[in-house]
Amino acid sequence: MKNGRWITETGSSTYLSEAVAIWLRDLRGEFRTRYAVNAILMFAVTTLIAVSFSIGSFRIGEAEQPFLYAVLLWIILVFSALSGLSRSFVKEEEAGTMDVLKLSARPQAVFLGKLFFNLTLLGALELIIVPSFILLMNYEIELPGFFAAMVIAGGIGLGGGTTIVAAMIAQASARGALFSVLSFPLLLPLMITAIKGCEKAAVGANNPGWPEVRIAVAYSIVMIVMSLFLFPLIWEE
Amino acid sequence: MIAKVLLSIWMTLIIVAAFLYADAAAGFPGETSRILFFHVPQAWVATLSFLLSMIASCIYLARRSLKADNLALSAAELGLLFCLLATVSGSIFAKAAWGSFWNWDPRETSIVILLMIYGAYFALRSAVGDADKRRVFAAVYAILAFVTVPFLVFVVPRITASLHPENTMNPAKPGMDPKTLKVFLGSLLAYTGLFIWILRLRLRLLKLESMQEPEFVVREKIDQEGERQ
Repeated sequence: MKNGRWITETGSSTYLSEAVAIWLRDLRGEFRTRYAVNAILMFAVTTLIAVSFSIGSFRIGEAEQPFLYAVLLWIILVFSALSGLSRSFVKEEEAGTMDVLKLSARPQAVFLGKLFFNLTLLGALELIIVPSFILLMNYEIELPGFFAAMVIAGGIGLGGGTTIVAAMIAQASARGALFSVLSFPLLLPLMITAIKGCEKAAVGANNPGWPEVRIAVAYSIVMIVMSLFLFPLIWEE
Repeated sequence: MIAKVLLSIWMTLIIVAAFLYADAAAGFPGETSRILFFHVPQAWVATLSFLLSMIASCIYLARRSLKADNLALSAAELGLLFCLLATVSGSIFAKAAWGSFWNWDPRETSIVILLMIYGAYFALRSAVGDADKRRVFAAVYAILAFVTVPFLVFVVPRITASLHPENTMNPAKPGMDPKTLKVFLGSLLAYTGLFIWILRLRLRLLKLESMQEPEFVVREKIDQEGERQ
Protein backbone atom coordinates (compact mmCIF):
# COMPACT_ATOMS: atom_id res chain seq x y z
CA MET A 1 0.00 0.00 0.00
CA LYS A 2 2.69 2.48 1.01
CA ASN A 3 5.29 3.01 -1.61
CA GLY A 4 8.72 2.45 -0.09
CA ARG A 5 10.29 5.24 -2.08
CA TRP A 6 8.15 7.87 -0.42
CA ILE A 7 8.90 6.96 3.15
CA THR A 8 12.17 8.02 4.68
CA GLU A 9 14.65 5.56 6.13
CA THR A 10 13.59 6.25 9.70
CA GLY A 11 10.01 5.25 8.90
CA SER A 12 8.51 8.64 9.60
CA SER A 13 6.36 10.19 6.89
CA THR A 14 4.84 13.59 6.38
CA TYR A 15 1.29 14.41 5.28
CA LEU A 16 2.59 15.36 1.89
CA SER A 17 4.69 12.24 1.35
CA GLU A 18 1.71 10.06 2.30
CA ALA A 19 -0.58 12.04 0.01
CA VAL A 20 1.89 11.77 -2.86
CA ALA A 21 2.24 8.02 -2.23
CA ILE A 22 -1.54 7.57 -2.46
CA TRP A 23 -1.70 9.77 -5.53
CA LEU A 24 1.02 7.75 -7.33
CA ARG A 25 -0.57 4.46 -6.28
CA ASP A 26 -3.93 5.60 -7.69
CA LEU A 27 -2.27 6.78 -10.89
CA ARG A 28 -0.54 3.42 -11.30
CA GLY A 29 -3.83 1.60 -10.72
CA GLU A 30 -5.48 3.91 -13.21
CA PHE A 31 -2.83 3.16 -15.84
CA ARG A 32 -3.49 -0.54 -15.39
CA THR A 33 -7.30 -0.48 -15.52
CA ARG A 34 -8.01 2.90 -17.17
CA TYR A 35 -11.46 2.69 -15.64
CA ALA A 36 -11.98 6.31 -14.54
CA VAL A 37 -10.29 7.76 -17.61
CA ASN A 38 -12.45 5.65 -19.89
CA ALA A 39 -15.62 6.48 -18.01
CA ILE A 40 -15.04 10.25 -17.82
CA LEU A 41 -13.41 10.78 -21.21
CA MET A 42 -15.83 8.62 -23.17
CA PHE A 43 -18.74 10.35 -21.47
CA ALA A 44 -17.24 13.75 -22.31
CA VAL A 45 -16.39 12.84 -25.90
CA THR A 46 -19.84 11.35 -26.49
CA THR A 47 -21.55 14.45 -25.12
CA LEU A 48 -19.26 16.74 -27.09
CA ILE A 49 -19.99 14.87 -30.31
CA ALA A 50 -23.72 14.91 -29.58
CA VAL A 51 -23.63 18.68 -28.97
CA SER A 52 -21.44 19.42 -31.96
CA PHE A 53 -23.42 17.14 -34.27
CA SER A 54 -26.81 18.53 -33.31
CA ILE A 55 -25.86 22.23 -33.12
CA GLY A 56 -22.88 22.55 -35.45
CA SER A 57 -20.76 25.66 -35.57
CA PHE A 58 -23.10 27.96 -37.52
CA ARG A 59 -26.55 27.31 -36.05
CA ILE A 60 -26.15 29.71 -33.13
CA GLY A 61 -26.01 33.37 -34.11
CA GLU A 62 -22.79 35.36 -33.73
CA ALA A 63 -24.14 37.48 -30.87
CA GLU A 64 -25.36 34.51 -28.84
CA GLN A 65 -22.24 32.37 -29.31
CA PRO A 66 -20.03 33.54 -26.39
CA PHE A 67 -22.70 32.85 -23.77
CA LEU A 68 -24.30 29.70 -25.19
CA TYR A 69 -20.96 28.05 -25.97
CA ALA A 70 -19.73 28.76 -22.43
CA VAL A 71 -22.92 27.14 -21.08
CA LEU A 72 -22.50 24.06 -23.28
CA LEU A 73 -18.80 23.72 -22.45
CA TRP A 74 -19.43 23.81 -18.71
CA ILE A 75 -22.38 21.45 -18.87
CA ILE A 76 -20.13 18.95 -20.68
CA LEU A 77 -17.26 19.43 -18.19
CA VAL A 78 -19.38 19.32 -15.01
CA PHE A 79 -21.45 16.30 -15.95
CA SER A 80 -18.43 14.37 -17.28
CA ALA A 81 -16.70 15.02 -13.97
CA LEU A 82 -19.81 13.90 -12.07
CA SER A 83 -19.93 10.69 -14.11
CA GLY A 84 -16.55 9.43 -12.95
CA LEU A 85 -14.93 11.35 -10.09
CA SER A 86 -16.63 9.23 -7.41
CA ARG A 87 -14.53 6.35 -8.73
CA SER A 88 -11.55 7.36 -6.55
CA PHE A 89 -13.32 6.24 -3.38
CA VAL A 90 -15.85 3.77 -4.77
CA LYS A 91 -13.04 1.54 -6.07
CA GLU A 92 -11.55 1.28 -2.57
CA GLU A 93 -14.90 0.19 -1.21
CA GLU A 94 -15.44 -2.34 -4.03
CA ALA A 95 -11.96 -3.81 -3.79
CA GLY A 96 -12.22 -3.97 -0.01
CA THR A 97 -9.06 -1.89 0.43
CA MET A 98 -10.74 0.85 2.49
CA ASP A 99 -9.65 -0.57 5.85
CA VAL A 100 -6.03 -1.04 4.82
CA LEU A 101 -5.96 2.52 3.54
CA LYS A 102 -7.35 3.73 6.87
CA LEU A 103 -4.52 1.96 8.67
CA SER A 104 -1.71 3.03 6.39
CA ALA A 105 -2.19 6.78 6.09
CA ARG A 106 -3.59 9.71 8.02
CA PRO A 107 -7.07 10.87 6.94
CA GLN A 108 -5.98 14.29 5.67
CA ALA A 109 -3.24 12.63 3.61
CA VAL A 110 -5.80 10.24 2.11
CA PHE A 111 -8.01 13.19 1.22
CA LEU A 112 -5.12 15.10 -0.36
CA GLY A 113 -3.96 12.04 -2.30
CA LYS A 114 -7.46 11.46 -3.69
CA LEU A 115 -7.82 15.18 -4.42
CA PHE A 116 -4.56 15.16 -6.40
CA PHE A 117 -5.77 12.11 -8.31
CA ASN A 118 -9.12 13.73 -9.12
CA LEU A 119 -7.38 16.95 -10.18
CA THR A 120 -5.12 14.92 -12.47
CA LEU A 121 -8.18 13.32 -14.06
CA LEU A 122 -9.86 16.72 -14.44
CA GLY A 123 -6.69 18.16 -15.95
CA ALA A 124 -6.61 15.38 -18.53
CA LEU A 125 -10.32 15.88 -19.20
CA GLU A 126 -9.96 19.63 -19.76
CA LEU A 127 -6.81 19.20 -21.82
CA ILE A 128 -8.72 17.03 -24.29
CA ILE A 129 -12.24 18.44 -24.17
CA VAL A 130 -11.63 22.20 -24.14
CA PRO A 131 -9.42 22.38 -27.28
CA SER A 132 -11.72 19.89 -29.08
CA PHE A 133 -14.74 21.97 -28.13
CA ILE A 134 -13.10 25.18 -29.36
CA LEU A 135 -12.18 23.52 -32.67
CA LEU A 136 -15.47 21.69 -33.26
CA MET A 137 -17.69 24.59 -32.34
CA ASN A 138 -15.50 27.28 -33.88
CA TYR A 139 -15.50 29.09 -30.54
CA GLU A 140 -13.75 32.43 -30.92
CA ILE A 141 -12.04 33.64 -27.75
CA GLU A 142 -10.75 37.18 -27.44
CA LEU A 143 -8.85 36.73 -24.18
CA PRO A 144 -7.16 33.28 -24.25
CA GLY A 145 -5.20 33.90 -21.04
CA PHE A 146 -8.30 34.73 -19.02
CA PHE A 147 -10.15 31.81 -20.62
CA ALA A 148 -7.38 29.36 -19.69
CA ALA A 149 -7.21 30.71 -16.13
CA MET A 150 -10.98 30.35 -15.80
CA VAL A 151 -10.95 26.77 -17.07
CA ILE A 152 -8.09 25.80 -14.72
CA ALA A 153 -9.62 27.52 -11.67
CA GLY A 154 -13.00 25.95 -12.48
CA GLY A 155 -11.36 22.53 -12.71
CA ILE A 156 -9.71 22.93 -9.30
CA GLY A 157 -13.08 23.96 -7.87
CA LEU A 158 -14.74 20.90 -9.40
CA GLY A 159 -12.19 18.61 -7.76
CA GLY A 160 -12.23 20.47 -4.45
CA GLY A 161 -16.01 20.43 -4.17
CA THR A 162 -16.61 16.79 -5.11
CA THR A 163 -13.81 14.76 -3.51
CA ILE A 164 -15.36 14.71 -0.02
CA VAL A 165 -18.77 13.88 -1.51
CA ALA A 166 -17.16 10.91 -3.27
CA ALA A 167 -15.84 9.69 0.09
CA MET A 168 -19.36 9.85 1.54
CA ILE A 169 -21.24 8.19 -1.29
CA ALA A 170 -18.67 5.35 -1.50
CA GLN A 171 -20.12 4.19 1.83
CA ALA A 172 -23.76 4.62 0.81
CA SER A 173 -26.10 2.69 -1.44
CA ALA A 174 -27.20 3.92 -4.92
CA ARG A 175 -23.76 5.45 -5.45
CA GLY A 176 -23.81 6.68 -9.03
CA ALA A 177 -27.02 8.68 -8.85
CA LEU A 178 -26.33 9.96 -5.35
CA PHE A 179 -22.97 11.47 -6.33
CA SER A 180 -24.54 13.81 -8.88
CA VAL A 181 -27.49 14.63 -6.61
CA LEU A 182 -25.22 15.61 -3.71
CA SER A 183 -22.51 17.36 -5.74
CA PHE A 184 -24.62 19.47 -8.06
CA PRO A 185 -26.04 21.94 -5.49
CA LEU A 186 -22.52 22.42 -4.11
CA LEU A 187 -21.08 23.02 -7.58
CA LEU A 188 -23.77 25.35 -8.88
CA PRO A 189 -22.19 28.64 -7.66
CA LEU A 190 -18.90 27.57 -9.25
CA MET A 191 -20.57 26.58 -12.49
CA ILE A 192 -22.44 29.89 -12.80
CA THR A 193 -19.20 31.79 -12.13
CA ALA A 194 -17.22 29.74 -14.66
CA ILE A 195 -19.88 30.23 -17.36
CA LYS A 196 -19.86 33.98 -16.73
CA GLY A 197 -16.05 34.07 -16.85
CA CYS A 198 -15.79 32.09 -20.09
CA GLU A 199 -18.43 34.29 -21.69
CA LYS A 200 -16.49 37.43 -20.75
CA ALA A 201 -13.26 35.88 -22.10
CA ALA A 202 -14.93 35.07 -25.40
CA VAL A 203 -16.44 38.55 -25.78
CA GLY A 204 -13.22 40.23 -24.71
CA ALA A 205 -14.97 42.34 -22.10
CA ASN A 206 -12.93 44.82 -20.08
CA ASN A 207 -12.55 42.81 -16.89
CA PRO A 208 -9.90 44.18 -14.52
CA GLY A 209 -8.70 41.79 -11.82
CA TRP A 210 -10.51 38.76 -13.26
CA PRO A 211 -13.19 38.61 -10.53
CA GLU A 212 -14.62 35.30 -11.83
CA VAL A 213 -11.26 33.57 -11.52
CA ARG A 214 -10.89 34.97 -8.03
CA ILE A 215 -14.34 33.71 -6.99
CA ALA A 216 -13.50 30.25 -8.36
CA VAL A 217 -10.15 30.21 -6.53
CA ALA A 218 -11.81 31.37 -3.28
CA TYR A 219 -14.45 28.65 -3.71
CA SER A 220 -11.75 26.00 -4.21
CA ILE A 221 -9.82 27.13 -1.13
CA VAL A 222 -12.95 27.19 1.06
CA MET A 223 -14.12 23.76 -0.10
CA ILE A 224 -10.68 22.13 0.26
CA VAL A 225 -10.09 23.61 3.74
CA MET A 226 -13.59 22.60 4.92
CA SER A 227 -13.03 19.12 3.48
CA LEU A 228 -9.72 18.79 5.33
CA PHE A 229 -11.59 19.61 8.55
CA LEU A 230 -14.57 17.35 7.91
CA PHE A 231 -12.92 14.44 6.11
CA PRO A 232 -11.48 12.73 9.24
CA LEU A 233 -15.03 12.56 10.66
CA ILE A 234 -16.46 10.62 7.73
CA TRP A 235 -13.28 8.60 7.17
CA GLU A 236 -12.96 7.21 10.68
CA GLU A 237 -16.68 6.58 11.13
CA MET B 1 -51.16 24.23 25.87
CA ILE B 2 -51.79 27.92 26.56
CA ALA B 3 -49.04 28.82 24.12
CA LYS B 4 -50.74 26.73 21.46
CA VAL B 5 -54.09 28.48 21.96
CA LEU B 6 -52.43 31.91 21.99
CA LEU B 7 -50.56 31.05 18.80
CA SER B 8 -53.75 30.04 17.00
CA ILE B 9 -55.52 33.26 18.08
CA TRP B 10 -52.49 35.35 17.06
CA MET B 11 -52.25 33.61 13.68
CA THR B 12 -55.97 34.22 13.03
CA LEU B 13 -55.62 37.89 13.96
CA ILE B 14 -52.65 38.25 11.61
CA ILE B 15 -54.51 36.67 8.70
CA VAL B 16 -57.53 38.93 9.27
CA ALA B 17 -55.31 42.01 9.69
CA ALA B 18 -53.30 41.16 6.57
CA PHE B 19 -56.44 41.38 4.47
CA LEU B 20 -58.52 44.01 6.32
CA TYR B 21 -56.32 46.24 8.48
CA ALA B 22 -53.21 46.89 6.37
CA ASP B 23 -53.52 48.88 3.14
CA ALA B 24 -52.36 47.51 -0.17
CA ALA B 25 -48.99 49.08 -1.05
CA ALA B 26 -48.86 51.51 -3.93
CA GLY B 27 -47.02 50.49 -7.07
CA PHE B 28 -48.29 46.91 -7.10
CA PRO B 29 -51.09 45.62 -9.30
CA GLY B 30 -54.30 45.30 -7.29
CA GLU B 31 -53.96 43.68 -3.91
CA THR B 32 -50.85 41.66 -4.74
CA SER B 33 -48.67 43.40 -2.17
CA ARG B 34 -50.48 41.49 0.59
CA ILE B 35 -48.26 38.51 -0.29
CA LEU B 36 -45.70 40.26 1.90
CA PHE B 37 -47.45 39.08 5.08
CA PHE B 38 -47.20 35.40 4.09
CA HIS B 39 -44.39 34.93 1.60
CA VAL B 40 -41.63 36.80 3.41
CA PRO B 41 -42.17 35.07 6.79
CA GLN B 42 -42.17 31.71 4.98
CA ALA B 43 -38.86 32.51 3.32
CA TRP B 44 -37.55 33.79 6.67
CA VAL B 45 -38.47 30.51 8.41
CA ALA B 46 -36.92 28.48 5.56
CA THR B 47 -33.65 30.38 6.02
CA LEU B 48 -33.86 30.17 9.81
CA SER B 49 -34.27 26.40 9.73
CA PHE B 50 -31.37 26.06 7.29
CA LEU B 51 -29.18 27.96 9.78
CA LEU B 52 -30.56 25.97 12.73
CA SER B 53 -29.92 22.69 10.93
CA MET B 54 -26.31 23.70 10.25
CA ILE B 55 -25.70 24.72 13.89
CA ALA B 56 -27.28 21.49 15.18
CA SER B 57 -25.08 19.53 12.73
CA CYS B 58 -21.96 21.21 14.15
CA ILE B 59 -23.11 20.37 17.69
CA TYR B 60 -23.74 16.77 16.65
CA LEU B 61 -20.26 16.40 15.18
CA ALA B 62 -18.70 17.86 18.33
CA ARG B 63 -20.74 16.01 20.95
CA ARG B 64 -22.38 13.09 19.08
CA SER B 65 -25.64 13.68 20.93
CA LEU B 66 -28.76 12.15 19.43
CA LYS B 67 -30.73 15.26 20.41
CA ALA B 68 -28.62 17.48 18.16
CA ASP B 69 -29.08 15.14 15.21
CA ASN B 70 -32.84 15.03 15.79
CA LEU B 71 -32.87 18.82 15.83
CA ALA B 72 -30.86 18.99 12.59
CA LEU B 73 -33.19 16.51 10.91
CA SER B 74 -36.45 18.14 12.00
CA ALA B 75 -35.17 21.63 11.19
CA ALA B 76 -34.24 20.42 7.71
CA GLU B 77 -37.69 18.83 7.25
CA LEU B 78 -39.46 22.01 8.25
CA GLY B 79 -37.01 24.01 6.15
CA LEU B 80 -38.01 22.00 3.09
CA LEU B 81 -41.70 22.49 3.87
CA PHE B 82 -41.44 26.27 4.29
CA CYS B 83 -39.09 26.50 1.33
CA LEU B 84 -41.76 24.86 -0.83
CA LEU B 85 -44.43 27.18 0.59
CA ALA B 86 -42.28 30.24 -0.13
CA THR B 87 -41.56 29.00 -3.67
CA VAL B 88 -45.23 28.43 -4.44
CA SER B 89 -46.46 31.69 -2.90
CA GLY B 90 -43.65 33.63 -4.60
CA SER B 91 -44.46 31.99 -7.91
CA ILE B 92 -48.11 33.01 -7.65
CA PHE B 93 -47.02 36.59 -6.94
CA ALA B 94 -44.63 36.44 -9.90
CA LYS B 95 -47.49 35.45 -12.20
CA ALA B 96 -49.66 38.31 -10.96
CA ALA B 97 -46.95 40.98 -10.89
CA TRP B 98 -44.45 40.02 -13.59
CA GLY B 99 -46.59 37.90 -15.89
CA SER B 100 -44.97 34.49 -15.57
CA PHE B 101 -44.82 31.85 -12.87
CA TRP B 102 -41.14 31.25 -13.32
CA ASN B 103 -38.47 33.49 -14.80
CA TRP B 104 -35.16 32.60 -13.04
CA ASP B 105 -35.09 35.82 -11.13
CA PRO B 106 -32.04 35.73 -8.77
CA ARG B 107 -34.36 35.10 -5.82
CA GLU B 108 -36.01 32.24 -7.65
CA THR B 109 -32.59 30.81 -8.50
CA SER B 110 -31.39 30.90 -4.91
CA ILE B 111 -34.56 29.29 -3.55
CA VAL B 112 -34.27 26.48 -6.11
CA ILE B 113 -30.71 25.83 -4.98
CA LEU B 114 -31.93 25.74 -1.38
CA LEU B 115 -34.61 23.20 -2.41
CA MET B 116 -31.97 21.11 -4.20
CA ILE B 117 -29.74 21.14 -1.12
CA TYR B 118 -32.60 19.96 1.08
CA GLY B 119 -33.49 17.25 -1.48
CA ALA B 120 -29.87 16.05 -1.57
CA TYR B 121 -29.73 16.07 2.24
CA PHE B 122 -32.68 13.70 2.48
CA ALA B 123 -31.41 11.55 -0.39
CA LEU B 124 -28.15 11.13 1.52
CA ARG B 125 -29.96 10.28 4.75
CA SER B 126 -32.05 7.62 3.06
CA ALA B 127 -29.06 6.06 1.27
CA VAL B 128 -26.82 5.35 4.27
CA GLY B 129 -27.81 2.21 6.16
CA ASP B 130 -25.78 2.50 9.33
CA ALA B 131 -27.43 4.94 11.76
CA ASP B 132 -24.26 6.53 13.17
CA LYS B 133 -22.73 6.90 9.73
CA ARG B 134 -25.95 8.44 8.43
CA ARG B 135 -25.95 11.09 11.15
CA VAL B 136 -22.31 12.02 10.62
CA PHE B 137 -22.62 12.17 6.82
CA ALA B 138 -25.79 14.25 6.97
CA ALA B 139 -24.13 16.68 9.40
CA VAL B 140 -21.04 16.97 7.19
CA TYR B 141 -23.18 17.59 4.11
CA ALA B 142 -25.29 20.21 5.89
CA ILE B 143 -22.14 22.12 6.82
CA LEU B 144 -20.65 21.84 3.32
CA ALA B 145 -23.88 23.06 1.75
CA PHE B 146 -24.04 25.99 4.15
CA VAL B 147 -20.49 27.01 3.26
CA THR B 148 -21.35 27.38 -0.44
CA VAL B 149 -24.27 29.75 0.24
CA PRO B 150 -22.14 32.94 0.62
CA PHE B 151 -20.81 32.34 -2.89
CA LEU B 152 -24.33 32.49 -4.23
CA VAL B 153 -24.77 35.87 -2.58
CA PHE B 154 -21.80 37.13 -4.63
CA VAL B 155 -22.52 35.17 -7.77
CA VAL B 156 -26.25 35.24 -8.34
CA PRO B 157 -26.77 39.02 -8.39
CA ARG B 158 -24.19 39.13 -11.18
CA ILE B 159 -26.38 37.15 -13.56
CA THR B 160 -29.30 39.51 -13.99
CA ALA B 161 -30.95 42.39 -12.23
CA SER B 162 -33.69 41.29 -9.87
CA LEU B 163 -37.31 42.32 -10.12
CA HIS B 164 -37.84 41.24 -6.54
CA PRO B 165 -39.69 44.00 -4.65
CA GLU B 166 -37.35 44.95 -1.86
CA ASN B 167 -36.90 48.65 -2.24
CA THR B 168 -40.57 49.44 -1.84
CA MET B 169 -41.33 46.92 0.86
CA ASN B 170 -38.19 46.37 2.93
CA PRO B 171 -38.98 47.33 6.56
CA ALA B 172 -35.45 48.59 7.14
CA LYS B 173 -35.90 51.29 4.54
CA PRO B 174 -38.44 54.08 4.66
CA GLY B 175 -41.42 53.32 2.48
CA MET B 176 -43.33 50.75 4.50
CA ASP B 177 -46.20 52.49 6.21
CA PRO B 178 -46.72 51.89 9.98
CA LYS B 179 -49.82 49.73 9.55
CA THR B 180 -48.07 47.40 7.10
CA LEU B 181 -45.00 47.26 9.31
CA LYS B 182 -47.09 46.29 12.37
CA VAL B 183 -48.84 43.44 10.58
CA PHE B 184 -45.60 42.32 8.92
CA LEU B 185 -43.68 42.08 12.19
CA GLY B 186 -46.67 40.34 13.79
CA SER B 187 -46.69 37.85 10.95
CA LEU B 188 -42.96 37.17 11.34
CA LEU B 189 -43.62 36.45 15.00
CA ALA B 190 -46.57 34.20 14.18
CA TYR B 191 -44.65 32.17 11.61
CA THR B 192 -41.64 31.81 13.91
CA GLY B 193 -44.00 30.63 16.68
CA LEU B 194 -45.60 28.16 14.28
CA PHE B 195 -42.14 26.90 13.32
CA ILE B 196 -41.10 26.39 16.94
CA TRP B 197 -44.37 24.62 17.72
CA ILE B 198 -44.09 22.14 14.82
CA LEU B 199 -40.39 21.69 15.54
CA ARG B 200 -41.13 20.67 19.14
CA LEU B 201 -43.82 18.23 17.99
CA ARG B 202 -41.40 16.67 15.52
CA LEU B 203 -38.65 16.41 18.14
CA ARG B 204 -41.03 14.66 20.54
CA LEU B 205 -42.04 12.23 17.81
CA LEU B 206 -38.41 11.48 16.94
CA LYS B 207 -37.64 10.89 20.61
CA LEU B 208 -40.53 8.44 20.92
CA GLU B 209 -39.43 6.69 17.72
CA SER B 210 -35.88 6.30 18.98
CA MET B 211 -37.24 4.64 22.14
CA GLN B 212 -38.60 1.87 19.91
CA GLU B 213 -35.18 1.13 18.47
CA PRO B 214 -33.60 -2.11 19.73
CA GLU B 215 -30.35 -0.48 20.84
CA PHE B 216 -32.25 1.93 23.06
CA VAL B 217 -34.33 -0.87 24.61
CA VAL B 218 -31.18 -2.87 25.36
CA ARG B 219 -29.51 0.18 26.88
CA GLU B 220 -32.58 0.84 29.05
CA LYS B 221 -32.54 -2.76 30.30
CA ILE B 222 -28.85 -2.53 31.18
CA ASP B 223 -29.53 0.72 33.04
CA GLN B 224 -32.42 -0.82 34.97
CA GLU B 225 -30.38 -3.88 35.94
CA GLY B 226 -27.58 -1.59 37.05
CA GLU B 227 -30.02 0.27 39.30
CA ARG B 228 -31.32 -2.98 40.85
CA GLN B 229 -27.84 -4.09 41.76
